[in-house]
Amino acid sequence: MTALAFSLPDRRRLLGMAVPFVAVVGSMIVGLLLIAASGKDVPDAIEAFMDGAFGNAFAIGASINRAVALSLVGLGFILAFRANLTNVGGEGQIAVGGIAATALGLWPPIANLPLGLAVIVPLLGGTLAGAFWGGIAGVMKVRFGTNEVISTLLLGFVALLLVYWCVQSTALLRQPQTSSATLPESLSIADSVKLPSLTGNSESPLHIGLVICLLLAVITAIVLQRSTFGLRLRAIGLNELAARRAGMPGGILLVVALAMAGAFGGLAGAIMLQGEQYYLKTGFSSGYGFDGLVVGLLSRGSTVGVLVGALFFGFLRSGGISMEIMAGVPAALTLVIQGLIVIAVAGSVILVEKLQGGR
Amino acid sequence: MEEMLAVFIASTLRLAMPLMLAASGELVSERAGVLNLSLEGMMLTAAFFGALGSWASGNPYLGVACAILASVMVSAVQAWLSVNLRANQLVVGIGFNILALGATTLLYRIIFGGLSREEIPGLPKLAVPGLSDLPFAGTAFFQQSVIVYVGLALIVLIWAMLNHTSFGLAVRAVGDEPRSADKAGIPVAATRWQAVLITGFMAGFAGAFISIADIHTFTENMTNGAGYLALAAVIFGGWNIGRTVAACLLFGAATALQFQLPAMGINVPTAFLLMLPYLLALLAVAGVVGRLEPPTSLTLPFQRGK
Repeated sequence: MTALAFSLPDRRRLLGMAVPFVAVVGSMIVGLLLIAASGKDVPDAIEAFMDGAFGNAFAIGASINRAVALSLVGLGFILAFRANLTNVGGEGQIAVGGIAATALGLWPPIANLPLGLAVIVPLLGGTLAGAFWGGIAGVMKVRFGTNEVISTLLLGFVALLLVYWCVQSTALLRQPQTSSATLPESLSIADSVKLPSLTGNSESPLHIGLVICLLLAVITAIVLQRSTFGLRLRAIGLNELAARRAGMPGGILLVVALAMAGAFGGLAGAIMLQGEQYYLKTGFSSGYGFDGLVVGLLSRGSTVGVLVGALFFGFLRSGGISMEIMAGVPAALTLVIQGLIVIAVAGSVILVEKLQGGR
Repeated sequence: MEEMLAVFIASTLRLAMPLMLAASGELVSERAGVLNLSLEGMMLTAAFFGALGSWASGNPYLGVACAILASVMVSAVQAWLSVNLRANQLVVGIGFNILALGATTLLYRIIFGGLSREEIPGLPKLAVPGLSDLPFAGTAFFQQSVIVYVGLALIVLIWAMLNHTSFGLAVRAVGDEPRSADKAGIPVAATRWQAVLITGFMAGFAGAFISIADIHTFTENMTNGAGYLALAAVIFGGWNIGRTVAACLLFGAATALQFQLPAMGINVPTAFLLMLPYLLALLAVAGVVGRLEPPTSLTLPFQRGK
């Protein structure tokens, strides 16, 4: 009888969670097969992976810091996705957030602010820059009917080139060229602008970004599930016309939703810069925007899902890098695994609906 | 000055070529109602397998065949997911692009390893007899890689097919009104499948052009957003093949400027010139060229009786 005690909604939820799980495990197995096929030693590679992901306080801290950036992008993604908007521009939003945080952080009047404002102002600046970048896509959607997937993607490319521009030109953010060997990078931000450590232990790079991220995750969950705003996002996502007829300000909601997604991306960029990288360089966003998108997709709209997924990908990335250095397995393997996961999850939607007995 | 202009036109054509090939292929699929965000991934896969085939066999034509085969295989999976499994086409496309970037980088490192940036056998440039010596036009149009002439012929073929054959009519029918098409006896799924395979074929050509005909090697992520530009060109072109090709030429010209302007002593930041095609594409998708009407059922899966 206990077997029957599973009520139907429980079974549906379990199935819904099973899909990402099966996709992740399956893709990891493919990854292992690929390592074996490339003639590398599998146990060696696994050991290098574990070492890089969980080996010591430094590895764990670095992995969690990665997860923080991914969570933020993922949280922004599910917010916009609630309104049926797919934000593919996380990469560009991280980039503009990083630019803004660098510009503000390198400006002495801000770097000398007391009471932690030297940390907070650049963080807010990055957030606003991201919101602006996401908002552009929102305005384009409302005014011209431009599909946000295309616009956020294109804006992403523009943002990446903006970073390149900023660090190539001394009139912008490039460090003063003292010799021909001066790299196209910005100066390093002052200590006062860097995110404080969470552990006080110099062994671990873990910073207060984690706290910010968890707080925002709780707020996002409340907004999505308990607020009128969350309800309106869902209404407009399900049926825009009906929502408008019901008197909701459809256009503004769409712009706000994309601006919020962008704000999360921008904050992620500022946190990456002030928390770990400390200076701006080309390729600064290093694929975190796309990883965060994957995290958001896999979570199926759940905040907890975002955090779990981000942790998984944070550790996956750290492990992948270590695998490349220590076992000679290219880190691109983690991209293969991610791509397979996305395709498997997206491809199984119909299957799941059938198993769940339709909706 | 005239010489410079001729060179500029030649490099515009060269840079626009992969976009024109990919965009005209994608156009067929979009007219049938399927959007392939995976275009970028198809091109990258093709560029890699084209380079690999050409390098392994020593024959660049075999390389082109490998590129097309690889890309068509990707498009077959895309078609299965989009048409049969009715998956979200945008999400699947992103997945494919991540997978293609990872897989080609991985295979490149494993196979070529230390031999990075090794030159592969490329396609020859074909000086069209009698025309290549013409002043101006010779340099501008008639000293291109063989694949350019073949590619232009294929684009004309697609134009003819879309506008003057019953298959073209079927493609447009299933893209606009799949339900009516179905009732009229047009096989919706099969038509969409064929359209996506055509996209794969053309994307394969485009990828082969980049690695085998143009750069003569493979580098990681060498398409670098060309697939997305091709997608933007289709929108820019209002789902019309002539205007799509014109959009590709415009993007190509914008890219060519980054080599041309410094040569003319005009100092514009490289970053801005690199950005220009994307900015133009953004203006295009914002509808600066006029309100655009996409195929009515674009990205909408079809299921009989629903």
